[in-house]
Amino acid sequence: MAEYCRPAELGEALDLLAGGGWRILAGGTDLYPANAARDRLPGAVLDITGLDGLDGIGKQDGFWRIGAATRWSSLIGADLPPAFDGLKQAAAQIGAVQVQNMATIGGNLCNASPAADGVPVLLGLDARIEMASARGYREMPLAEFITGVRRTALAPDEIVTAVRIPDPGPAARSHFLKLGTRSYLVISIAMVHVMLIADPPGRVADARIAIGACSPVACRLSALERELIGHPFDTSLADRVREEHFAPLSPIDDVRATAAYRLEAAREMTRRAIAAIVAGGGRR
Amino acid sequence: MPTVTMTVNGKQVSADIDPRTLLADFIRVNLDLTGTHIGCDTSQCGACTILVNGDAVKSCTMLAVQADGAEVTTIEGLAENGEMHPMQAAFKEHHGLQCGFCTPGMVMSAIDLVKRHPNPDEATIREELDGNICRCTGYHNIVKAVKAAADATGG
Ligand SMILES: Cc1cc2nc3c(=O)[nH]c(=O)nc-3n(C[C@H](O)[C@H](O)[C@H](O)COP(=O)(O)OP(=O)(O)OC[C@H]3O[C@@H](n4cnc5c(N)ncnc54)[C@H](O)[C@@H]3O)c2cc1C
Ligand code: FES
Ligand code: FES
Repeated sequence: MAEYCRPAELGEALDLLAGGGWRILAGGTDLYPANAARDRLPGAVLDITGLDGLDGIGKQDGFWRIGAATRWSSLIGADLPPAFDGLKQAAAQIGAVQVQNMATIGGNLCNASPAADGVPVLLGLDARIEMASARGYREMPLAEFITGVRRTALAPDEIVTAVRIPDPGPAARSHFLKLGTRSYLVISIAMVHVMLIADPPGRVADARIAIGACSPVACRLSALERELIGHPFDTSLADRVREEHFAPLSPIDDVRATAAYRLEAAREMTRRAIAAIVAGGGRR
Repeated sequence: MPTVTMTVNGKQVSADIDPRTLLADFIRVNLDLTGTHIGCDTSQCGACTILVNGDAVKSCTMLAVQADGAEVTTIEGLAENGEMHPMQAAFKEHHGLQCGFCTPGMVMSAIDLVKRHPNPDEATIREELDGNICRCTGYHNIVKAVKAAADATGG
């Protein structure tokens, strides 16, 4: 007989997990379609959406903390600095409203799909993943947490409790773009998240560019990031984007697009995202 | 078997169910409220949209046990004293349906939409209904109906 448990205390959930045999359920929007719910929902389900302190957004000691069970719709409505505009743009395009009302940020990361929209955004924000088990807490950069296609560093007895983001400061601006075969309810062909910080004389002080769906795990374009730093924060900035900056990508041919198309799309979207941030003004 | 208790359309209901029971099946089979339709079963089409604690969700992508303790509203819960909800009335008036299969989900999503955007323009309505698919109408009359309902309810 399948079991279902929705504890309120993290300690209780961790003790259950330590005993083995549980499948974690958050919003269920990846779990159900993947398991054709009726027949194959994994035996024992541990629903983490009732856990105290697992949802909500706060700032502490220079870090923004987003609880793992925070729903995309709560993120869209949250009062956050402009560095998080890209995260909100991504949230507003995850499925549709009904999905955003259930789906969580933690589920998106744990599912570790190459097309998960949250991954490039949070890579670009240097996010860290906080995990808990009955053995204690640990934390690691998102870049280490996702180890491959649908694979993570999470142990079977662990829960992701939060995403922690070092405060990018009030001058940081970000922009997210995604491309699918149509505008809604599709798996991304490519996504781009750009974050830029301009210094008072109007030069790029920091740049972070992350691309999703063009490699097994979303990745940062460090050569392009280095290229942009120090350059005037003006309309010429997008022209700095060159083909060789995209060397870390290894897009695939599939039913949605060819590899060459993905690469071209990623390049053009990167230019557009940079241009959009410049057009929005670096400092307000 | 776990017992679930929730308020559906203002009435408290309670049942012992297999924990794997989807909320959509619980509503349709256990409660015999068949206005909530199942079109795809994979969270794509939106025909099964209901309100859980006031928010639109797809009931095919949720377990009934997850709604334990929640306030659930289905299409059957909208009319009051035999009077259609303004959104239902607007769909009727503007012919926002043909076969009607998508309509219950469309109406529930539209109610959530108007709650979040009391005065939506056409672009907002089209964008916000992206989680609901209609194979008949071409959406034009649905958009008109939602606009009219928003105007009528004093957006
Ligand atoms: C119609 C539809 C459209 C979608 N569109 C998009 C889209 O545009 N972009 C996109 O990126 N995704 C999309 N998704 C996928 C999905 O909605 C998101 O990835 C979502 O954020 C998953 O969160 P969840 O809470 O529903 O995860 P769940 O399904 O509850 O869980 C996903 C996986 O993570 C594990 N898990 C969840 N939370 C934790 C935790 N805290 N600790 C440890 N393990 C955990 C679960 O065991 C499971 O294996 C779509 C899904 C549907 C059904
Ligand atoms: S039946 Fe639920 S979205 Fe289609
Ligand atoms: S009226 Fe037939 S699917 Fe919408």
